Amino acid sequence: MKLDDEAIRRRCAARGVALSRVLSEAGVSRTAYYSLRRRQSVLPKTVLKLASVLEAPASELLDESNSEEKRARRRVNTAKRIAGESHGTSFENVWHTLALLDEPPSERLNRALRRGRAGTL
Amino acid sequence: MAEPGLFSEAEARFLRALNDEGVEFLIVGLSAAALQGAPAVTQDIDLWFRDLTDPGIKKALRRVGGVYVAPTGSTPPMFVGSAVALFDVVVSMHGLESFAKEAARAVTVVLEGVRVKLLPLERIIVSKQATNRPKDRAILPVLEDAARTIRTRRRKR
Repeated sequence: MKLDDEAIRRRCAARGVALSRVLSEAGVSRTAYYSLRRRQSVLPKTVLKLASVLEAPASELLDESNSEEKRARRRVNTAKRIAGESHGTSFENVWHTLALLDEPPSERLNRALRRGRAGTL
Repeated sequence: MAEPGLFSEAEARFLRALNDEGVEFLIVGLSAAALQGAPAVTQDIDLWFRDLTDPGIKKALRRVGGVYVAPTGSTPPMFVGSAVALFDVVVSMHGLESFAKEAARAVTVVLEGVRVKLLPLERIIVSKQATNRPKDRAILPVLEDAARTIRTRRRKR
């Protein structure tokens, strides 16, 4: 899992401290932090140090972008935005399209065929 | 075992055989819309051929145990056989340009390892608008919303 830069900055803001101060207290250099932010996985030691300074659960500082729940939440927000941009656009149609775009073409086709078959039964 | 009525290896073999025989075709209609991400519902996969008399079609059918049934006064051309039961032959497309012009702007997807060309969603919408049956009018808002979603997502990337 990646470091969630946004979550860390939110925590800093909530505590009224600058990110640089948190990094200094955690013994993580600025260069190391920016490098860690780009990595796909971080050492638990770094996360635990930051979590300890911020008095936050370590899990809150990690970007679980692969988790189903986060993905679904992101999809809902994107669907709301797209549906909101154009009058008459159905949130449901947009949401279903976004969900299908995450599937391989064969699965998209088979979903359509499954529903088509169910409709004729 | 593959679920009957769904796209599986058997259907992919037929599409691969068509490609191997150099047959020019497009997947059109709601199956093409679904392949591009539209939440459409369909019962078959519509194929539009540049030339229905292309001998490669019969060769491809033979390779998967299918046969071609020529049209009569009251029936359209059909493919018969378990590997091709999902496919329908489309003879004409309303509201569109020639096959060659439409094929030039086709979208390519890889379906179970087979590269196939699809009529783009925007062109499916044009065709549905031209056909204008009640079922076409009913699906148009879904296709238009899907096209808008795909365009927006493409712009953001």
